[in-house]
Amino acid sequence: MTGYAELHCLSNFSFQRGASSALELFERARAHGYRALAITDECTLAGIVRAWQAARQTGVPLIVGSEMRVEAGPKLVLLAENLIGYQNLCRLVTVARRRAPKGEYRLQRSDFDESLTGLLALWIPEQQPDAEMGRWLKQHFADRLWLSVELHRGPDDARRLDQLLALAESLDIPAVATGDVHMHARGRRALQDTMTAIRHHCTVADAGQHLFPNGERHLRSPPVLSELYPAALLAETLRIAERCTFDLGQLRYQYPRELVPEGQTAASWLRTLTEEGMCWRWPEGAPDKVLQQIETELELITEMHYESYFLTVHDIVRFARSRHILCQGRGSAANSAVCFALGITEIDPSRMNMLFERFISRERNEPPDIDVDFEHDRREEVIQYVFNRYGRRRAALTAVASSYRGAGAIRDVAKALGLPPDQISALADCCGKWSSKVPSGERLREAGFDPANPVLHRVLTLTGELVGFPRHLSQHPGGFVISEQPLETLVPVENAAMDDRTIIQWDKDDLDAVGLLKVDILALGMLSALRRAFDLLRLHRGRDLTLATIPAEDKATYEMISRADTVGVFQIESRAQMAMLPRLKPRTFYDLVIEVAIVRPGPIVGDMVHPYLRRRNGEEPVTYPSEALRQVFERTLGVPLFQEQVMELAIVAAGYTPGEADQLRRSMAAWKRLGGLEPHQKRLTEGMLARGYTREFAERIFEQIKGFGNYGFPESHAASFALLTYASCWLKCHEPAAFICALINSWPMGFYSPDQLLQDARRHDIETFPVDARNSEWDCTLEPGRGGELAIRLGLRMVRGFREEDAQRITCARANKVFSDTTDLIQRCRLDNRARELLADAGALRGLAGHRHKARWAVAGVEPQLPLFAGQPATEEKGIVLPLPQVDEDIHADYATTGTTLGPHPLSLLRRQLKNRRCRSSKELKKMEHGRPVVVAGLVTGRQKPSTASGVIFVTLEDEYGMINVVVWHDLGERQRRELVGSRLMQVKGRLETEKGVIHVIAHHLTDLTPMLDGLDVRSRDFH
Amino acid sequence: MRWACILFPQLALDAVLRTRADSDAPLVLLSGPTQRRVLQTMNSAARELGLRPGQSLTAAQAITNTFAMAEYDPAEIERWHQFLAAWAYRFSSHVSLHYPRAVLMEVQSSYSLFGPWPRFESLLRKELTELGFQHRIVVAPNAAAARALVNCHDGLAVDEAQLQKMLAQHPVDRLGLERSAAIAFSRMGIRNLEQILRLPRDSIARRFSKEVLMHIDTLLGARQLALACYAPPDYFDSRIELNFEVESHQALLFPLRRLTADLAAYLAGRDSGVQRFTLHMEHRDREDTLLPIGLLNTEREATMLFELVRGRLEQVQLPEPVLALRLIARDLPVFVPERRELFSERAHQSLPWEQLRERLRARLGDDAVTGLHIQADHRPERAWQTSNEIAQVASPTNQRLRPAWLLDEPVISEFAGSQILAGPERIESGWWDGGDIRRDYYLLRTQSGQLAWAYRPVGDSGPLMLHGWFA
Repeated sequence: MTGYAELHCLSNFSFQRGASSALELFERARAHGYRALAITDECTLAGIVRAWQAARQTGVPLIVGSEMRVEAGPKLVLLAENLIGYQNLCRLVTVARRRAPKGEYRLQRSDFDESLTGLLALWIPEQQPDAEMGRWLKQHFADRLWLSVELHRGPDDARRLDQLLALAESLDIPAVATGDVHMHARGRRALQDTMTAIRHHCTVADAGQHLFPNGERHLRSPPVLSELYPAALLAETLRIAERCTFDLGQLRYQYPRELVPEGQTAASWLRTLTEEGMCWRWPEGAPDKVLQQIETELELITEMHYESYFLTVHDIVRFARSRHILCQGRGSAANSAVCFALGITEIDPSRMNMLFERFISRERNEPPDIDVDFEHDRREEVIQYVFNRYGRRRAALTAVASSYRGAGAIRDVAKALGLPPDQISALADCCGKWSSKVPSGERLREAGFDPANPVLHRVLTLTGELVGFPRHLSQHPGGFVISEQPLETLVPVENAAMDDRTIIQWDKDDLDAVGLLKVDILALGMLSALRRAFDLLRLHRGRDLTLATIPAEDKATYEMISRADTVGVFQIESRAQMAMLPRLKPRTFYDLVIEVAIVRPGPIVGDMVHPYLRRRNGEEPVTYPSEALRQVFERTLGVPLFQEQVMELAIVAAGYTPGEADQLRRSMAAWKRLGGLEPHQKRLTEGMLARGYTREFAERIFEQIKGFGNYGFPESHAASFALLTYASCWLKCHEPAAFICALINSWPMGFYSPDQLLQDARRHDIETFPVDARNSEWDCTLEPGRGGELAIRLGLRMVRGFREEDAQRITCARANKVFSDTTDLIQRCRLDNRARELLADAGALRGLAGHRHKARWAVAGVEPQLPLFAGQPATEEKGIVLPLPQVDEDIHADYATTGTTLGPHPLSLLRRQLKNRRCRSSKELKKMEHGRPVVVAGLVTGRQKPSTASGVIFVTLEDEYGMINVVVWHDLGERQRRELVGSRLMQVKGRLETEKGVIHVIAHHLTDLTPMLDGLDVRSRDFH
Repeated sequence: MRWACILFPQLALDAVLRTRADSDAPLVLLSGPTQRRVLQTMNSAARELGLRPGQSLTAAQAITNTFAMAEYDPAEIERWHQFLAAWAYRFSSHVSLHYPRAVLMEVQSSYSLFGPWPRFESLLRKELTELGFQHRIVVAPNAAAARALVNCHDGLAVDEAQLQKMLAQHPVDRLGLERSAAIAFSRMGIRNLEQILRLPRDSIARRFSKEVLMHIDTLLGARQLALACYAPPDYFDSRIELNFEVESHQALLFPLRRLTADLAAYLAGRDSGVQRFTLHMEHRDREDTLLPIGLLNTEREATMLFELVRGRLEQVQLPEPVLALRLIARDLPVFVPERRELFSERAHQSLPWEQLRERLRARLGDDAVTGLHIQADHRPERAWQTSNEIAQVASPTNQRLRPAWLLDEPVISEFAGSQILAGPERIESGWWDGGDIRRDYYLLRTQSGQLAWAYRPVGDSGPLMLHGWFA
């Protein structure tokens, strides 16, 4: 036998059909000595980049193709002979996909009337072949058509072969052997059957004839193939393979050109824009250092031909700015002086003494990476701008190939094996939410399963195989690909689930591999809040602030941060962050960068937090393993905190090249999922030993790298985030009313509910006025308080279920004439029953109708206005006495209708009872010393089980003075699960721990005091 | 008139608990889609554990794992509601299921039979307790008032004079008003009926739907509540007591013929058929001997029913003399008569297929006659299956060559001199139920010219296994 090339083979990107990954297929093809392997996923090229990578890894040439079924026509496989053929294939796939809903395709006969140059066709005949199909194909493909003979040890292969050879001869089409491969080896038969059942939404037992009768659709060895096929048919595969010379490496991507005006080059235009930006950023002239940096950067950009990329991002940001949409870039390239001048980022390079090592690496040829965050609720405007500017054929979102995780896989497999729904759910619960692992035997036994049971064994084995397989394509949140040529000449485009969205069939990693550039247009709630705060300041203070012009390095702001007085600000508002702040005591912007990065699973797991703190507080000397590493670690006191530092470390201490260091970065991000850090362990250790570092040091470094895992935070991102942190802190410190007001109007976002934000505001002596139909707008607003300072007026948006249109009508009608009474309000604003009842119950009619009970009575009595009696006062009702609401009734109603109360805090009403139970308030705790036994009580506002702390649960209690942090160790949590999970008002007996201003109560016993609340609507926010 | 309202506060739960031996163990009933199971209700033992209605199952399991679960099944609840009505019907001819989870019955007219109220009441309570249903009972002059009062009371009996006073203090949200009205009243600070009655009637009329005042009038007895009366269900249950102790089958045939005839008449009357029924043979000192009879199709012809029972009765060993016969048929599906051609080609002597089938079954036993099913499975031995139901036999969808006679067990065979006509056809399937096969099948012509179907396990070089013969 001369050799064989498989020309019809599906990978797992033919979702729920292909049961092997491209790499598995290529490795097996190499083992069998195949001369080439075509990946022909069904009407998709979503898996082709991975196949290309696998081909390069194994040295087996890839043929790019696709299997498709023509409506009222034949089934065929198309193979790309050359670049033109590839482009035609992309076009066909795009046409067929765009015509159908997401996940489906419709290929029509007329689609073949367009150019098919460069495409080879293999006709896959039916059981009873229709010669007419052959003739039709022959018309379109002429001598580029073959008849596929696929023999799978069916009932009578010999007869089938004869039948097809006769057909080929009669139509004058050459025949070729192909395998209709669905898996790399026979061992995937069970998985393939399972996927078939999943695809048909039935159990394997019921799948019947949907299943293949045997496992022959794998990559068969040459001897086996020789046994089945005549040599001529096998030889024909090689002739076809030789013709297919297309390689994905031939794709050339071009940036959009229209951003450069006539008579300019991209480089000169970028320079012009940068210089204009410098005049805007530094009206008195930029400092020399900056000038120099900009020169260096521009040089590098030109050298790498990245001008168009920067121009593209600049154009998007410029648009946002023109619409007053707040945005900020981040990522390695974003933190450059050029980006600051272009307005892409707001971090003044002269303000920070920071090295941006990863700006763009000359050696690595790594594409620049800029993510731009936009205001959460206005990002859609930016996305539509991009679509309009470049047209839908040249701009599309990137895809995300969602893959099976443990829970999803086990769910699908268990269903296909016919397990009952309750058991399926219980099994899925055994997998962590995001875990890609098959649950352990112990975990299963805990949940009442017997891992030795054969059915369960099958479920687990198949789940293990399925995990990591792609299951469908979805839309990336904001990754755009923009190209000069129509995208469909590069990659097929298909419909996304959302209307008016199209996605390309490749995901982010595929793009990197092929050298396509993407711009991430992301959404950030804090940007909305900051913009609203800036708007409020412009209105009430006449002060026009931006992210870049907020006074830098403000002492009062850092003092506030060091007190952990950070409810509501960006990033450092979580409980873990707040616990860190008094220890770290940030004093400079770079301290904030560290603060943002340090309280993350990566540094925590890698045990970097405590060494850093000790060194910072002078409790431990700052040392460096070598003078060379001092350069790398000086800014973080010798402790590796950032991804960039790990890469530099590998270069400096272990002799990595920058390219290899980048590999290390990628492996770090993926090792939990894919493994593959071992080669680096050896390489790093040996490299460090060779350069005179101790083995112990090398091992510790490696452990830290592993700890970084998925969570390693790049310094460049931390810097961009820290700027938002600083801006939000400055606002909270100097303009708290505007800040809180803006936060509430941007809600939902962040960590705290409007109720918690308002309580925090009141603790800072900011006056708050209730919702009132006479004064409130839809949003919360600012108005002068009694003390002259700005106070917050709650908006109608606080009234749960109230509609914005109704609020707008109220504001409009009020602008004409103030409301004389409830009837006037209801009639002029045309409020329906629901709206008026909501206003009455929320207490928003207190100025027009009196207390809630009266208001509800009044609104119920307003009758539709008859034209005849317009303007006439309604008939008076006399002698009706309704009971006055009690204080606790008011609190109940406040919480039920607006989720907050401006009256007394519920716990202040219970304080006497709680005193009797010897409960201390959060205020009293501050004056007590460390180690004292203590009893506290509060509303449970949060229960958190961090993945980094084994089994510990952090409970946050709230009372009228503030928050109390409770630590519940694993054992107690297990013993008192009911109290822990079920309490809304909880009493905790325990021990007080105070350290550097951080107060915790270590719980010894929990008591559920919920009955004392009696129906109070306090919603705990649980984070699991 | 005196109306008793019996409220079953945990009807769904009781329906499940009465089937469980350990009725004190924590039990919850679940509802909602699989992705979001919610605790619908639970017994007090489960409540003790901290479980609450409305909790998600995930949340409940975060608290504890030590509770049993069952499905909250509205159809089952409805069935028990009907059952309780049938029970109540024994005590009163005026029974109504007007309210969910409650049975209304007019009791005054039954005092003469069951005694005056407290005695009557304790009789009801005793039976309900024995049946395993938690309950609350209130008697009032009208049904609506009884239903409202049972929300807050148990064992209360009020007459016209006391009614208004009892209702006045009744909380507004327990009055049985529409939910929106009850909420509206409470939001106006109105807590009980007395406060409502103090408001001007036209002020209420202006603010609430007219049903509110109508309901209040009904409660106070100023309006009549229209009640749909409960009618007992229909099923066949007939018993014939024998005049002497019968030991021979022969002597049972006469009463049996009457019972089957009655059944046939009854079936004809309501235009239904029967597919399953039970013949009870009652003895003096031991439990009834039961003779369940299941048919392949619905039938209602008297002779045939009789023949069927007789065929099976003859096979029964009577452990003791029989005192009475009782025939119960609950499963009474609609009867579909067989179609007859106008010009029947069937010879008069031959039995119709259905009768032949039934006779064969009666004589040879149920297991001897079975239906045949095509099963979509690649494994030949699973590709068809026998079953007790006779279904429309679909023609096999796959066009593979399969022998009509498949051996029960493949046997090792010598095929010396045989000729391979086709194959190997490889079949690898069935891993999911532990019955995985991997075989290469061959179509062979034996020396004697028969067409055989035989296989050899994949990768095996041993002898062929004969699996079937082609006709």
